[in-house]
Amino acid sequence: MLPQFDYVRPGSLSEAIEHGATDGAILHAGGIDLLGCLRDGVFTADKLVAIAHLAELRGIDETRDGGLRIGALTTLSEIAAHPLIGERYTVLSQGAGSAASPQLRNQGTIAGNLCQRPRCWYFRGDFHCLRKGGSMCYAVAGANQYHCIFGGDRCYIVHPSDTAPALVALDARVRIVGPSGQRVVPLDSFFVPPGQDIRRETILEPGDLVVEVLLPPPGMGLRSVYRKVRARGVWDFALAGAAAALTISDGRVTGGRLVLSGVAPIPWRAAEAERALAGSRLDAETIRRAAQACVADARPMTHNGYKVDLVRGVVEETLRSLA
Amino acid sequence: MKHYLPDPDQIPGEAQPQELPPWGETRVVGRSLSRVDGYELVSGTAVYTLDLTLPDMLHAVIVRCPHAHARVVRVETSRAEAMPGVRAVLTASTPGAEIPWYFGDDGPTSRLFDSHCRYAGEEVAAVAAETVHQAWDAARAIEVEYEVLPFVIDEAEALEADAPAVHEGGNLTEQREFARGDVEAAFAEADVVLGGTFRTPCELHAPLETFVSVARWDGDRLTVWDSTQGVFARQQELARYFRLPLTSVRVICPYVGGGFGAKLSTGKYTVIAALAARMTARPVKLAVTREDSFLSEGNRPANTIRLKAAAMRDGTLTALEGEFLGSVGAYPSGAVSPYLLLALYDCANARAATTEVYTNAGRARAFRAPAFPPCAWALEQTIDALAEEIGMDPVEFRLKNLATVLQLRDDLPYTSIGLRECIIEGAREFGWESARSRPQQDGHLRRGVGMAAGMWAYPGEPRATVFVKLFADGSVNLNMGASDIGTGTKTVMAMVVAEELGVPLEQIQIEHADTGTTQYAPASGGSQTVVVSSPAVRAAAVDVKGQLLEIAAAELERPAEGLVLRDGQVVPIDDEGAAVPLAELRGLRQRQNIVGVGRRHPHPEGKIALPFCAQFADVEVNTLTGEVRVARLLAAHDSGRVMSYLTYENQVFGGMAMGIGFGLTEDRVLDSQTGKMVNHNWHDYKIPTAKDVPLEQTCVPIDPHDTECNTTGAKGLGEPAHIPTAAAIANAVYHATGVRVHDAPITAMQMVRLLAETRGD
Amino acid sequence: MSEDSGKRQDSQRGISRRNFLGTMGAGTLGVAVSGRAAPAQGAVAVASDGTQPVTLRINGRRVDLRVEPRWTLLDVLRDHLELVGTKLGCARGECGACTVLVDGQAQYACMTLALEAEGHEITTVEGLMHGEELGAVQQAFVEEDAFQCGYCTPGQVVAAEGLLRGNPNPDLAEIQEGMSGNLCRCGAYDHIFKAVRRAAQLKQLGTG
Ligand SMILES: Cc1cc2nc3c(=O)[nH]c(=O)nc-3n(C[C@H](O)[C@H](O)[C@H](O)COP(=O)(O)OP(=O)(O)OC[C@H]3O[C@@H](n4cnc5c(N)ncnc54)[C@H](O)[C@@H]3O)c2cc1C
Ligand code: FES
Ligand code: FES
Repeated sequence: MLPQFDYVRPGSLSEAIEHGATDGAILHAGGIDLLGCLRDGVFTADKLVAIAHLAELRGIDETRDGGLRIGALTTLSEIAAHPLIGERYTVLSQGAGSAASPQLRNQGTIAGNLCQRPRCWYFRGDFHCLRKGGSMCYAVAGANQYHCIFGGDRCYIVHPSDTAPALVALDARVRIVGPSGQRVVPLDSFFVPPGQDIRRETILEPGDLVVEVLLPPPGMGLRSVYRKVRARGVWDFALAGAAAALTISDGRVTGGRLVLSGVAPIPWRAAEAERALAGSRLDAETIRRAAQACVADARPMTHNGYKVDLVRGVVEETLRSLA
Repeated sequence: MKHYLPDPDQIPGEAQPQELPPWGETRVVGRSLSRVDGYELVSGTAVYTLDLTLPDMLHAVIVRCPHAHARVVRVETSRAEAMPGVRAVLTASTPGAEIPWYFGDDGPTSRLFDSHCRYAGEEVAAVAAETVHQAWDAARAIEVEYEVLPFVIDEAEALEADAPAVHEGGNLTEQREFARGDVEAAFAEADVVLGGTFRTPCELHAPLETFVSVARWDGDRLTVWDSTQGVFARQQELARYFRLPLTSVRVICPYVGGGFGAKLSTGKYTVIAALAARMTARPVKLAVTREDSFLSEGNRPANTIRLKAAAMRDGTLTALEGEFLGSVGAYPSGAVSPYLLLALYDCANARAATTEVYTNAGRARAFRAPAFPPCAWALEQTIDALAEEIGMDPVEFRLKNLATVLQLRDDLPYTSIGLRECIIEGAREFGWESARSRPQQDGHLRRGVGMAAGMWAYPGEPRATVFVKLFADGSVNLNMGASDIGTGTKTVMAMVVAEELGVPLEQIQIEHADTGTTQYAPASGGSQTVVVSSPAVRAAAVDVKGQLLEIAAAELERPAEGLVLRDGQVVPIDDEGAAVPLAELRGLRQRQNIVGVGRRHPHPEGKIALPFCAQFADVEVNTLTGEVRVARLLAAHDSGRVMSYLTYENQVFGGMAMGIGFGLTEDRVLDSQTGKMVNHNWHDYKIPTAKDVPLEQTCVPIDPHDTECNTTGAKGLGEPAHIPTAAAIANAVYHATGVRVHDAPITAMQMVRLLAETRGD
Repeated sequence: MSEDSGKRQDSQRGISRRNFLGTMGAGTLGVAVSGRAAPAQGAVAVASDGTQPVTLRINGRRVDLRVEPRWTLLDVLRDHLELVGTKLGCARGECGACTVLVDGQAQYACMTLALEAEGHEITTVEGLMHGEELGAVQQAFVEEDAFQCGYCTPGQVVAAEGLLRGNPNPDLAEIQEGMSGNLCRCGAYDHIFKAVRRAAQLKQLGTG
């Protein structure tokens, strides 16, 4: 049952920022993740600042440089169904299309998806864990089968989003406006790992609003794909996934990124694997080397050792599909 | 079925009612007809208990213990009591709340609010308020001080000498042994001996409609609308808790949104609702939240089964041995059963030992074929492995070893046994042989097929009374106590009436599942509803028919034997042109009603009627990721007569869908540090979705034309449909990959690891 | 597609620090605008323990009522408007029993605040009826026996309606995907898939 909160529907973006910056306020886009957290008492909010009606945060448009601008309130369904995104940025289309369920995709927004809180069952459950201001991470000695094998540092969440790895793979940026003005930030540096700050997952400050996601023009020979492995067919977060966006010319990888989902507190760039791929043909040997390189630094916990095998497998399958 | 449903052998005998001859060709029964309540279900006009609002109704919520094991030291309710809309706060010390709590027939083992909380989720207090929101706000304001105690959640650890005791007297609830023949000798002489330890997960019922009751008192009379599988069972239990005569307790449930066994026994929420209603003199609704229902409203406990089996190279199964361990949770219930091991195959030497323990976890409840799917998981994989070891096709190996009598009960004969046909017909329809020898494609996707057999053990509680009332215009009222839990009971029973009385389904009005206005029927569980109630319905309809034909015979001046009822008319067999509509019978108009009474006859003497099945699975395993996709399922069931084809097929597919969950995705997880459940919601406890079921499913009914089981020839279906599915999938996974998965569920998490180990990485 | 660069859009929107500060100030927070079912333009503010008058459009009818901020659309439908065809299964977006159409698209009413439903066209299972007659999807569900206990059914029916409005002729795989946001614990999925296919036919024939 939802606890009580105030509700404001600001008349403009600037009012939204003003409200968002007040103590105890929180933005409500589609509301899916937010209401879930409030219901479960993961955190409290004094005031919900509704932004869904702000028309300037909507829409998908081509930009002059040949890239794409996706308004913050664009729903995951809209992204998944957009022909241009499907054609040029397949990985994003697939990422958005593989999140949650059809109904949730009809309501959930891209900004909300990037800013959703972690799905760790201790964080979401009745456990006063480190990320909620408590003194311990229950995953360390507990049921950590869904937790991270990379980037854990006192807290071992995985990043829940399926669009984030796709967007990082595409080198997308987000435009943020807030009380201190606006800035455009590469998505690469949007997420905050626990080693940096254990209480939050993004760089957003109170009052900050993501207004749009900016995609660069697709590079020459860009081929991209998102492959997600989950415990059931739908309505489920990634056990592990691979978002690949590679430029391929004459059969050789000329650039691009490989980003993993479901295995780290932030979308995890497989830098070693990217190096292993650069300049190579996508033959069986290269693919195997790249897959192996992905897990070189893995630090599995008691119950998530399978993620090492799974990352290898899903990366191999993903790269094969691009070959 | 101990703890869950009455043992038919313990039911006092009754006078033998008239037996009816078996049906020959049927005109209505067996057809694919739309449900009689289909309109209500799709239009949203079916009112479930959760949908009910009574005038002046309050809403109650329960405060639960957040610790796996604790003692309540103090409950501070003053803040909550002062909150807006709050009308009652109930705790252990509330006058009237000192109600002893029973689990089954044995003495009380707890109380309504037990200060000794034995699992995370146990009821500690409750609030009734004007709105649900107010009730929750107040519940959150109740402060409870606990003394937190050491807990135990692991079944094996619960047996250790220094384990925390869930109850005084230790954690062992029951140990049993069964044996026949000489198992040691058989193992010694066998050509092949195999064994392994199998584990199955704790599975949650998770019906779509949560657990909910609405209670209202009129003076000393209690009426409860309850989301239940059996109104009479609920009535009896409520009468005991409130020390009322049965007639003062009325339980009603027109629609129930699923139960799967969890809604057979009375939950504390129902009694709390009734108590709060009495305290406030207002109707009270109490709906358990989804999350809380996962903690406290039942489960199928995890099983650990160590199996050993032996065979000769000629394909004779010579020995079976099993050790079963499971936890009932914090209170008396059932956890394991070796029935299937000891009954499915003809095996002269068999032995089983069972151990059941208490742990600090939610109590087990009956769950679709209690203890059978776990046993099938272990047994049917072992049989598969044995067949391979002696180089025999698993279908052939099973056919060679089928039981023909119930060895568990001194070789009691069956009224019919269609298992052989299930296996043969199923294999043929499935294309077993060609699928079995299908070459693997290159690449990382591997296909495989597997099968498993099963049977179900509960013959039903042979007592039910049904009224059928014919009105002067020829329309009919069917009055029966049985609940329709989604299996199509109402439709099936209306078809039985239509079969006998020749009235169209649209003219049959059904009154059911109301202890105040309908007659006794056992709870809809144990796959007994059709088996028990349809003969009673038939008998009542036949009673009406007899009276009606007597009237008609007199009016038409023809012998009653020469008349039949068809299309709302009395039709002389040798002169169809002289047919008379029922409404035109003077005798009927004079009486206005003809009432027929039907009672369920006893089970056949010296025989037992049980259903059998065989299921076949075709899977695809991704060897890179460990994902298992079920591509195709086929089920061949001997459940006797197909009463209604659509609901039969639906039930079979539904049982298999649940089997996919049991085999591939579902698993309750308790945190080892705190004993608390971490996945008490539908996202983290993963039941199958539309994307987890195969697009190709086939139902092959096998009807052995059983004329002895009962007067409609039907046997149970709901539970057998769930029993072998997971095992068939596991055998298919083995066939695809060569990996024998001992622990259910076969998640990608487990599979990717096992595949890597097999490859040696 | 517009040729706008991100930069130009920004300046159009006037989001620079200066501009931003310029539009701020006490009193910008407007009073509640209500009484009309259009996306609220002006500002709305409701205190947690207060109520706000809203106008909802449900099944083509205009409904005026007062709601608390925390009430979900599902709370309002079931507890205040007695439209109990929309079911409550989990109240957390994990079952689909509460599926309604919002501007023709399937959504979970339990995850939608009532205040957020303002200005949108809401359709519930009751709204798919033609008077006493079943709509095409409902008719198809009856014909194919696409339910057991029936509790998930209204949500399934509405989800199917949403699917078919977006894709009038889905293939089996599209049906499976489209219906994947609705749990059926009874496991009637196979018949549900058949019903959706049948419903597509019925709609094309113009029946129901
Ligand atoms: C059962 C379930 C399963 C799910 N499965 C998946 C899955 O498999 N994969 C996946 O990726 N996601 C999944 N999700 C998450 C879902 O996709 C997200 O919750 C959804 O996209 C969030 O969008 P929203 O608009 O509803 O966010 P909201 O709930 O409105 O917001 C989420 C957070 O983001 C903040 N926020 C929203 N918009 C902005 C903005 N413009 N600027 C700054 N901050 C903002 C909010 O303050 C809030 O903290 C699942 C959710 C549920 C409930
Ligand atoms: S009640 Fe809304 S999704 Fe379950
Ligand atoms: S019909 Fe019972 S849950 Fe779907």
